[in-house]
Amino acid sequence: MQEKAEAAPILSMNSVEVLYDNIMLAIKGVSIQVPTGEMIALLGSNGAGKSTTLKAISGLLKAERGRISRGEIAFQGTDITEVLAQNRVGMGICHVIEGRRVFEHLTPDENLTAAAPRGMSRSALNAEKEKIYNYFPRLAERRNSQAGYLSGGEQQMLAIGRALVTQPSLLMLDEPSLGLAPFLVEEIFGILQKINREEGMSVLLVEQNALAALEIVSQGYLIENGRVVMHGTAEALKSNSDIQEFYLGGGEGTNFHNVKHYSRRKRWLS
Amino acid sequence: MDWVFLSELAINGALTGLLYSLFAIGLVLIYKASSVPNLAQGGLTMVGAYVVLALSHDAGLPLWLAIPLAAVIMFGLGFGIERVALRRLAGRPVIMILMLTLGLDIFLRGTTLAIWGGTSRSIELGVSYEPLFLGDLFISRIHLVGAGVAVALFVAFMLFFRTRTGIKLRAIADDYMASWSVGISVEHGVGLSWALASVVAVATGVIWGEIQGVDQALSLLLLKGLTVAVLGGLDSILGAIVAGIILGVIENVGAEFLDPLVGGGSRELIVAAVLILTVMIRPHGLFGRHDIERV
Repeated sequence: MQEKAEAAPILSMNSVEVLYDNIMLAIKGVSIQVPTGEMIALLGSNGAGKSTTLKAISGLLKAERGRISRGEIAFQGTDITEVLAQNRVGMGICHVIEGRRVFEHLTPDENLTAAAPRGMSRSALNAEKEKIYNYFPRLAERRNSQAGYLSGGEQQMLAIGRALVTQPSLLMLDEPSLGLAPFLVEEIFGILQKINREEGMSVLLVEQNALAALEIVSQGYLIENGRVVMHGTAEALKSNSDIQEFYLGGGEGTNFHNVKHYSRRKRWLS
Repeated sequence: MDWVFLSELAINGALTGLLYSLFAIGLVLIYKASSVPNLAQGGLTMVGAYVVLALSHDAGLPLWLAIPLAAVIMFGLGFGIERVALRRLAGRPVIMILMLTLGLDIFLRGTTLAIWGGTSRSIELGVSYEPLFLGDLFISRIHLVGAGVAVALFVAFMLFFRTRTGIKLRAIADDYMASWSVGISVEHGVGLSWALASVVAVATGVIWGEIQGVDQALSLLLLKGLTVAVLGGLDSILGAIVAGIILGVIENVGAEFLDPLVGGGSRELIVAAVLILTVMIRPHGLFGRHDIERV
């Protein structure tokens, strides 16, 4: 583990600021690094800037009239700040956007086909599909039904499978656990871990469900109000008392009668 | 009313209807790839016909060369429209893109009027005007040719939408953002759909130009084409074919009965009634995709 962390990071984001519509500052100088082959979590509450961070990396900001106004993002050592979203996918960055967003009127099989990179041969695509169906056997069963009628969990699996077809070396997921039953979250996270181990794919996971996320990642960043306020290994974060109270649902044996709420604000929020 | 006459009305109605389908296929192509009804399809059809005329009559090329060449030019024009006008609007509300296509239609009409004037010109395809006799039935040859073209395009595009490129276009229609996220070039896909629709516009323009002459009236086909596309379900090519036949038959047979009662002009009324009733009773048309709502 120690050696891995010292290797060159696959992604390094350096004090990036994002402006929406040229006025709204959504993230205010975020710096994060994803070491090659590791799983990293971005934690934080609603509206903290987690999704914006991912969109800055994938280039999807542009579709929402956002832009990077300061800082730079390097992927495998190359500055990608000015690269178009679709070309970033070609370089190996794929972003599973929030809310699953499968192609509803296509079948799961067609959803996978749609994501095939230009020039991928038919046999390579079929091999890729088989691999994905092996990871997600539920999808294989429903490969020819309409994707819009899959269950939430199946749609999330399809969204991940669709991203895998693009052959990413960095897979970014935005709230894959959203609206899913705990056993499904566990199943999907288990598969992500398997993909990470078997293919050495680096993963950047955005989650509100910190409890589940910290079980599978090696490091985590905590973002609040558009800033990174904490960074550490998963173990360190899990045992941090602030994280426990605000994100993991209560510390050990807290006696609520004795808690002075005003003194336990998120004081790193300046 | 004897049966021979009635079936003759129905068959010729169906053939005319397939010519509306030809037009509607162009609308469906663009809708399938960008979820926008293209109000400029009428203008494009007219431009397609004029380009064929410019190449054949004015430049003296034989028709068999002029038509494919016009298709190539229009293919380029379709891509150009995306590049110049639509790209800036990607991701904006549909209503803005809709208004843009309306503006484009007016622009194309104005341009053709300025360049080629308002007098009607004809395209001679060399199809005989002699009616074809099928037993006792009496059928127009040019309509038969046009219907054949419509069916051929229908088959070609059905196959196309199963190819990888076709699937990507359908993916774009479903979700721009998700398409970008997996590296699909939405801009290129929308451009391609406009290019293909412009090629269909050449076919439509030539057939209709042969039937009613090439002039500004050609762009008014939009009303019937749109009715067919809406009835068929806007994103269904099969729907465009079936709805074309239905509308053609209803229109031809219905007008025969209604015209004597109202003193003519009932065709337009029938078309309007079909459009309004479709939107009121079955907004997604006969074969259109339903908006999926999971509970």
